[in-house]
Amino acid sequence: MTAFDANWSLMTPEIVLAALALLVFTIDFMTGIHGKKPFIGRLSVLSLLVTAVLVVVTNSTSGSIAEVFVVDPFAMVFKLIILIGVAMVILISMNFLDRERNAEVYQGEYYSIMLFAALGAMIMVSSADLITLFIGLEILSISSYVLAGFKKYSRPSTEAAIKYVVLGGTASAFILYGMSFLYGLTGSTSLLEIGQAVPMLFEEYTFVVMMSFLFMLAGFGFKISIVPFHMWAPDVYEGAPTPVTAFLSVVSKLAGFGIILRVFFLGFGGVFQEWAFIIAVIAAITMIAGNFIALTQTNVKRLMAYSGIAQAGYLLVPVATVIGDVGINMIVFYSVAYLMMTLGAFAVITLVTEDTGTSDLSSFAGLYQRAPYLAIAMTVFLVSLAGLPLTAGFIGKAYIFFGAVAGEMLWLAIIMIVTSVISFFYYFGFIKQMFMTDPRPNDKELAVSGSMQTVVTVSLAVTVILGILPGLVLDIFNTFNWMAFF
Amino acid sequence: MMGNLLTWLVFVPLIGAALILTIPRENVNVIRSLAAIVSGSALVLSLIIWGGFDRGVSGMQFETVAPWFDIGFLQINYEIGIDGLSMPLLVLTTIVTTLSIFASFSIVKRVKEFYVWTLVLLTGMLGVFVALDMFLFFLFFELTLIPMFFLIGIWGGKMREYASFKFLIYTGLGSAIMFITFIAMFVKGAEAMNFQETSFSMIRLAEIYANPANPEVLTGALKGGLFLALFVAFAIKLPVFPFHTWLPNAHVEAPTAASMILAGVLLKMGGYGLIRVGFGVLPDQAARFATLIAILGVINIIYGALLALVQTDLKSLVAYSSISHMGIVLLGVASFTTAGMQGAIFQLVSHGFISALLFFMVGAIYERTKTRTISELGGLSKSVPILAGFMLAAAMASVGLPGLSGFVSELLAFIGIFGASADLIPAAYTIGVIGAIGIILTAAYLLWAMQRTTFGPMKEKYVGLPDARPMEYVPMVGLLVLSIAIGVYPHLLSDVINTTVIDIVSKIGG
Repeated sequence: MTAFDANWSLMTPEIVLAALALLVFTIDFMTGIHGKKPFIGRLSVLSLLVTAVLVVVTNSTSGSIAEVFVVDPFAMVFKLIILIGVAMVILISMNFLDRERNAEVYQGEYYSIMLFAALGAMIMVSSADLITLFIGLEILSISSYVLAGFKKYSRPSTEAAIKYVVLGGTASAFILYGMSFLYGLTGSTSLLEIGQAVPMLFEEYTFVVMMSFLFMLAGFGFKISIVPFHMWAPDVYEGAPTPVTAFLSVVSKLAGFGIILRVFFLGFGGVFQEWAFIIAVIAAITMIAGNFIALTQTNVKRLMAYSGIAQAGYLLVPVATVIGDVGINMIVFYSVAYLMMTLGAFAVITLVTEDTGTSDLSSFAGLYQRAPYLAIAMTVFLVSLAGLPLTAGFIGKAYIFFGAVAGEMLWLAIIMIVTSVISFFYYFGFIKQMFMTDPRPNDKELAVSGSMQTVVTVSLAVTVILGILPGLVLDIFNTFNWMAFF
Repeated sequence: MMGNLLTWLVFVPLIGAALILTIPRENVNVIRSLAAIVSGSALVLSLIIWGGFDRGVSGMQFETVAPWFDIGFLQINYEIGIDGLSMPLLVLTTIVTTLSIFASFSIVKRVKEFYVWTLVLLTGMLGVFVALDMFLFFLFFELTLIPMFFLIGIWGGKMREYASFKFLIYTGLGSAIMFITFIAMFVKGAEAMNFQETSFSMIRLAEIYANPANPEVLTGALKGGLFLALFVAFAIKLPVFPFHTWLPNAHVEAPTAASMILAGVLLKMGGYGLIRVGFGVLPDQAARFATLIAILGVINIIYGALLALVQTDLKSLVAYSSISHMGIVLLGVASFTTAGMQGAIFQLVSHGFISALLFFMVGAIYERTKTRTISELGGLSKSVPILAGFMLAAAMASVGLPGLSGFVSELLAFIGIFGASADLIPAAYTIGVIGAIGIILTAAYLLWAMQRTTFGPMKEKYVGLPDARPMEYVPMVGLLVLSIAIGVYPHLLSDVINTTVIDIVSKIGG
């Protein structure tokens, strides 16, 4: 099949999004470099929603472009997660950009880079070829580096960006090095061909295959911030503008999970038994380290970084315990839950830290008196992150437990549930600040902008509804044959 | 329709909580009355169910089963129902909560939130007692953590934050162990049915474990491990020594109404879970560990009583007496006799009323004297005769004075343990005797405490303290009357529980 015979319409959403991202960029130039331009933010959100509709329309049938760019339920759901995630991040940013000094100058840039980041992530989760995958990954990564340093005049922000570039570049190098082993062994960059060849080659080339696996794990592990590849996260999260932190900890991380699943299940699925234990150990270390270090944090953004590390550990558990569609069910359900509860929390965090001018945990003192609705919503998000009932986080975590115990990894399930209880300490530490401490003397009632209100309300509604009626999405997931694109 | 009644009962408080959220927080009286009405409606519903409850049936009644969601390898159901074990606990829950709402009318701090959390808590507790699907059970069990955390953390005493976090972590760990064990029970149950059937229903799992298609999966070691894990999980809630350390902190710091619910209902969830899941699904293992349970029961009785004896704070004395009294529940269930099992359930209910009353009295007295230190109190029978009288009556009920409910439950539990088969508990007689000594200690610490607080010369600073307010009569009289009613006419309760008790005991052929 030549490139011209391929069904290029499968790529419609990506093409449209690329065009819209360039349009946003151009409009920014054409409207002069100064002044507030809220319409660009709205246009970006609209672009993402249009793309999301296109994803649903064009990707409802599975297929592939020469088995390089694939469309299957897995890609579709992850693309929707990415698009909705970025749209919510932009809604959070609109508030932030209005307040930030001089920030209006770069508004257009900010939004179009966000759109490009989304584009990279979409290509990434749709690729079944190592080269395409790497291109998607780099589009996402380079956009993220720029976003992390977006507060040009702020030293922490610049420092965060530099750290992120250097370490991220190293991670990319690891991924490429791991890929080169696979190419050397199989002579192909197609994950399908690699997947067929690896079980046969494994006997003879155990060492090389495992090295390739470990190198890629290190590189992707950096993206999803699992221990021991997590060191960058707290520093970058702290320095980067808060909405960018939200982007890194939600969209970038979930896209990373998408690609881990794709590569490990398709490429290394045949030798699942050989690496499952490694993933299990890393998941265990990640949950323990993330949760315990989070206990000592007093800075909200660093705390969320460690919380995010711990959450990555939970998400890694099904990778190690359940291969196949049910395992993907678990990861996707928890990803949706994580998207909503974390972005909701970050919306509140952005509002509060911007208002009080500090990201110390004490900035949340007495939030219930200052903004009752925000405090209640934040409580729901935290309760969901902690995995307590009537929230999506509870169902998602319970589902993962089922997988771990049924997958005969009782020890991993025990570590997961015990570290979840440990996490009550810091999540409820937030709640304590909001409800049991008086506001600081100068803090007044908190004004909430419309876009923020939207993000908080949508996240709250989804978190609660999925906590009570998980069947709404699980029934759909159960019908999916996740990675069938042939 | 009859099945829906239970669903209404569980969710009416939650709807009420949502309603209260919509009322502006300044309208304190509206909020208070609404909370009382909502909880009162739950009480009426539970009494209607009590009336419609068929005493002659040993299985589940008022059942509702509806598919909830499917996780690919297991269908999770919304499955609820009640039997003679859960029926009295439902009524206990609605009564104690309603009375605690009356008892908390004196709270002025953040009234709206207080009642929202109390009503959410009520839904959680009722849910635990009706849930038959283990996922649902776990959900409600966990749901009770959050409101109690807030109730202790916002309205508690000086060390409230420490106490609320300790409560959260301890009982959170308990639920964690519980849930892991539940899933392991399901996985092994499915394996024992050769994966022809998967179920997460307590009722169905009990049948599977009794009659597995492939018995080799369910080895003695596996079932023993499962039972012990369940025991630890519920022991934290009950609480059983050495898992009890969260309780004194939580009780002492909690506001009066939360203490009433904590002692009156929340602890019972531990005992209920142990009987429902532990004894229900793994009766042979319960029998295997009967001696251990009985010994732990006796340790609880003695240890709780000894610690109560040395307390200088009246509220911690009552808290330790709760630990002591929960030992009687363990003693009763371990005996595997009809009388013992009856005694255990009687004790769950009776202690629910008595401890709620005791905590209420301590709270009422603290509100007036601003101290709970026993040595600083004294002569209360002269300054506040009515309150002192009710406290004395509560103490008598707790000691087990004949004619009050505590007597019936203790008597039955001890008849049970003395009558336990020697194969089951080798030294049942010795255990019973030591336990009985513990009961004497109960009399000692309670009477001594009453003597130091209510009698003796009246302290000058307590002259002219206001005695019971009209609103305070509601919980006081209500709880005491119930205790007397059960004490004088135990048939009221035994009528409902007997068929189920016989059913549980017959499972090990006893």
